[in-house]
This record gives sequence, structure tokens and C-alpha cells, in this order.
Amino acid sequence: MPKSHAGSATDRLERIDVVTDSALAHLEIERLLEELLDRIRELLAADTATVLLLDSSGQHLVTRASSGMKEAVRQGARVRISGSRFAGRIATTREPLILDRVDETTVANPLLWHRGIRSLLGVPLIANDEFLGVLHVGTVGDRRFTDTDVDFLRVAADRVAMATRNRITDSGRAAALSLQRTLIPGLLPEVAGLDMAARYAPGEAGGVSGDWYDVFKLPSGWLCVTVGDVVGRGLDAATVMTRLRTAVRSYALDSADPAEVLTKLDRHVRHFEPQMMATVSYAMWEPSLCRMHLSLAGHLTPVMAPDNAPAELPEIPIDPPVGAGLVPRPRRTTAVDVEPGTAVLFYTDGLVERRNRPLDDGLALLRDVVRSGPTEALCSDVMLRMVGTDPTDDDIALLAIRREPDAAAPELTLTLEAVPESLADMRAALRRWLPTVGATDDDIDDLLVIIGEAGANVIEHAYGPGGGRFELRLTATEAQVEGTVRDQGNWRSARGTNRGRGTQLMQQLSDELRIEHDNGGTTVYLRRSLGNR
Amino acid sequence: MTVAHVALLTEEEPRSAELTVTGEIDLSNADQVRDELYRSIANDLMYVSVNLTDVSYMDSSGLRVLFMLAERLQRLQTELAVVAPPGTPARRILELAGFDAVATLRP
Repeated sequence: MPKSHAGSATDRLERIDVVTDSALAHLEIERLLEELLDRIRELLAADTATVLLLDSSGQHLVTRASSGMKEAVRQGARVRISGSRFAGRIATTREPLILDRVDETTVANPLLWHRGIRSLLGVPLIANDEFLGVLHVGTVGDRRFTDTDVDFLRVAADRVAMATRNRITDSGRAAALSLQRTLIPGLLPEVAGLDMAARYAPGEAGGVSGDWYDVFKLPSGWLCVTVGDVVGRGLDAATVMTRLRTAVRSYALDSADPAEVLTKLDRHVRHFEPQMMATVSYAMWEPSLCRMHLSLAGHLTPVMAPDNAPAELPEIPIDPPVGAGLVPRPRRTTAVDVEPGTAVLFYTDGLVERRNRPLDDGLALLRDVVRSGPTEALCSDVMLRMVGTDPTDDDIALLAIRREPDAAAPELTLTLEAVPESLADMRAALRRWLPTVGATDDDIDDLLVIIGEAGANVIEHAYGPGGGRFELRLTATEAQVEGTVRDQGNWRSARGTNRGRGTQLMQQLSDELRIEHDNGGTTVYLRRSLGNR
Repeated sequence: MTVAHVALLTEEEPRSAELTVTGEIDLSNADQVRDELYRSIANDLMYVSVNLTDVSYMDSSGLRVLFMLAERLQRLQTELAVVAPPGTPARRILELAGFDAVATLRP
């Protein structure tokens, strides 16, 4: 009696089940498959047992695990599923196949005939009607596979497919969640005059989806805000999300018009992610912070909450989502004034959509819930009242940005690294702050140079190669701006030719300028009247 | 990040060059602006103009570049004119630094 017929079919299956049970739950997918394949090979008295799984393109089968032919895994052996040879035919017909002649006319992978395999039996791996790959066994001897072997391998393949499916889902979910964690900004950029906070909550229905938010500054001093939602779930949606996030950043660098950025993003998605669709809200804030330019691609309108007044959903035209769909149409940008004290709330649909409630009711509830105030508290309050203790199906991304209310004696404090790159950040902050205290364009030009020279002096002269930091502190009254630029370094005078014009410029441009050195560092005092030039 | 672009505009006159600088010039990119200007200017020119109309910020590091350029062109006997209309940030700084003593300042 041939070895393959040893024991009843039930006995043999029990040995497979032992492998798929919880004792092996911690194994990674490759190790789990190897364990299963060892047993299948032994039970069928075969020389090789191999699993090929669909790759991410869905077009190829890749050898993922093998017992008796590990070189196929090491060499990343792959075959097209549309092929007419062994594995390709199983993928197309989804039926078992026995092959008694193994050569280049019948199998695509040369490793099989190099290995001396003379007979092959393969079955499809199918879980919940989804085709995952192919399981095949081979022999080098005279043994031929029988119908009994086919029946056994089919049942074993069901077990393997289930275990694989669960493992892929779990690891995909974990990978998607970790992608989200990596890419959702942990810290939002600091912008003087703005207060920002955000929340991200994964849905409970089926792991993470493709929600994201992003806040970044441009060299021009403009601040960009993206909130988006890639249609779909899991690792696929999350990876597309990461690519869209980067694409928005790239286009943002080269454009001052949100509609143009979203038009380019739309083209990007249609070309590179032809099956995907996403809704995006993209806003650019002027450096003065008094206006925001917004374009919506199928995304819900942000809530605007003025200080001490009810919140509203502004009338902003909504253009189609980016990606799959109709012929591209021109997109629109809407300018929205943002008064001091106003909070703007961006969000994804998971915040307002519930199975048992119309969307309009969700939006109306959100509008009633949002009140302007410090953004951390605002976010907590919105999540508490919109989500509470209910499990949510969908992911929620929430981003609140509030223009700080005008203070009685406006102040600006910045701490900066003493590196040349800080100068542009410092100017962007000044271009935002100075208009709010009544500085004219001429005043701004002069103050940028006075303070820029003071900063450049620190960067060039105050510290050794280890570097350091400096602090800018300004206060404004109706008539003037005054303040200090302070470092903790040792003063060193300028070197080289054509140097030292900076101090002269600072003197010429300000109404009062003093540079004082002591053991604690250097302090530049400056004062300049407003509206006098 | 501070960004400036230097462009060689026209060479209608074979022995003259018109350069345009846009963006901002500070400590972090002044050397790069200087190198790009130098690269764009051949040694057989009679006349060079540098247009700073669209420079939105310039401090003493930008002045240093222009003073050094003026010095070198003087040695090459090439005439230099700097275009900066009144009211532009560059005009203000150039005037305060007395740049009109070393090159022509045009609106």
C-alpha cells in the first residue's frame, strides 16, 4: 500500500488542523505556510509542496513558501496568472490540475524541471470566494497523483487559504494603522497668531481607511492645510493616502492657487492611481492670516465659528472628487475672510455620517456643537459630542485652526535656531504679525531688514560650530514696534571684505538701536515708529 | 528656506546682458545668488544690468553680493546698472548703503 494512503482522510486532516490552530497564531505568514507545507508534503509522500500567492498588482503569482524547493522563494520566482501553463491555468480555471509531464511547454517556472520534478498536482487557494493563490505538490520519482490525492489537497488548501486570509488581513490592518500613525503629523507646525489641534480616530468596522490631514508652511510664508479621505479601506487606501499627501505637498510648492493644486492632484490620481478616488479639502492661508483660500474636491465644507457667535457652514462651491469619474472640469477657489478669534474646523465624513441619521442632520448637529475657543478643548468637545461612546464605522480626522483674538498689547515671541534657514521662517512670522498691529508695507520692509540683520548677526557671529538659539520678542503700540533680539553667545565682530554693512543698515532704518554685550550674550534693542516713512 | 531665481533675460545686443533676480536674498542663499550671477556674466560684455524689481527681501548679504559684483565688473571694465524702482525693498536698501556711488541705479 503506497505511503500516501496511510491513515484515513480524517486522520490526515487533523494533522493539518493542528497546524492552523491557535498554537501557531503568533507565526508570521511565511513560517505558518512552511509548517503547513512540511506536513502536506509528508502526508502526500511528495518531494515538494509550494504556495504561490497573488502579488499586490493581482497580475502575478509569487512563490511565498515551499517545503522541498526553498530556492523558489529565495529567487522570488513569479508567473503571470494569465499564462496558459500550470499555475496560470489553475489561476484561470480555479480547478485542480494534475501534470505528468514537467518541461518548458507545461510549466512557466524553470526551477520545477531543474529540480527534476516529473509529476505535479496543483489546486487553487480560495477563501470567501476570493482567489489568493495556488498550492502545488510535486514528485521526482515514479509516483503519480490520484483523485484521492486531489480530494485531500483540496481540503488541505481550504485550511491553508483560511489561515492565509486571516494572516494577510491582520498584517494588512497592522501595517495600515502604522502607516497612519507615521504620517499623521504628531506635532503641528507652530505659527504665531494661530492655535491648532487635531484628532485622528480609526473606525471600528474594518481597520483604518485612507483619511489624512496635513499642515505645512511654504517658503513664501503661506500656510497650507489639507484634509482628505481616500475611498476604500485597509492597507491599499492607506498607501494611496501617503502618496496623495506627498503629491499635494509637491504641487503646493509650485502653486499659489488651491484649485490649481487640486487640478494637478486630479491628473495625478487619474494617471497613477486609475482605480482610486479621494475627497480633499485644500486651503492656503495668507501670511497675514486674515484670509484663507479654499478649494473643495467632493469634500464636506469646513465649519467656521466666529468668536462669540454661532458657527456656520459657509457657502463654498464643491467640485468633484479627485480621481475616477467624469471628464475633469475646471475647479474653483473661494476666498474666505477669517476674523481674529474665528475657529475653522476641517473634518472627514466619519465625524458626521451615521447609518441611522441623514447627513444633513449630522452637519446641523456639528454646526450646533462647534464654538470658537482654544482648539485642544474644541477638538475634545467636538469628539465628545459627535462620537461620545458610540462605536464608529468610519475613520475620523479632525483639524481645528483658530486665529487668535487680538490682544490689547500685541506681542510676538519667537525662539529660533541660530542657522541661516531660520531667517525665512522669522520673516514669514513677521509678515503675518506686523500687518495685524497696523504696520504699513514700508514699515514691514524696514522692520524685516532691521530684525533680519540682527538675526543674521547672531547666526554668523554668536556661536561656535555647536550652534545655539536666539529669541525675538516684540511688542506693538499704536505708534511703534519695539523689542529685543537676544542670544546667549559670545560677540565676535564681522570678518572679511564688504562685511559690517548690516549694523549700519539697522541703525539707518530704526528710530532707536542699541547693541549690548555681557557675559550672558548679546541683546539688540530696537524701536521703530509706524506709518512715518 | 529662502529662494531666489536668477535669469538671463535677453542678449539682443551681443555685448550686453540683462539679468533678473526674483525672490528673497539673505544669509542662507546669498552665495548661491552670487554664483548664479557670476555664471551668467561672460567676460566679453560691455554692459550688464541686474533687475531687482521683484526681489521681495534683501539685506546686507544681498548688498555684499552687489558690491562685490560692482567691484569685479569695474575691473573687467564692464558697465553695471541695477534696476530697482522707488518703493521696492531693494531700492531702499541700495540707497541707504550708497550703492549709487559704485554703479548706476535705475528706476
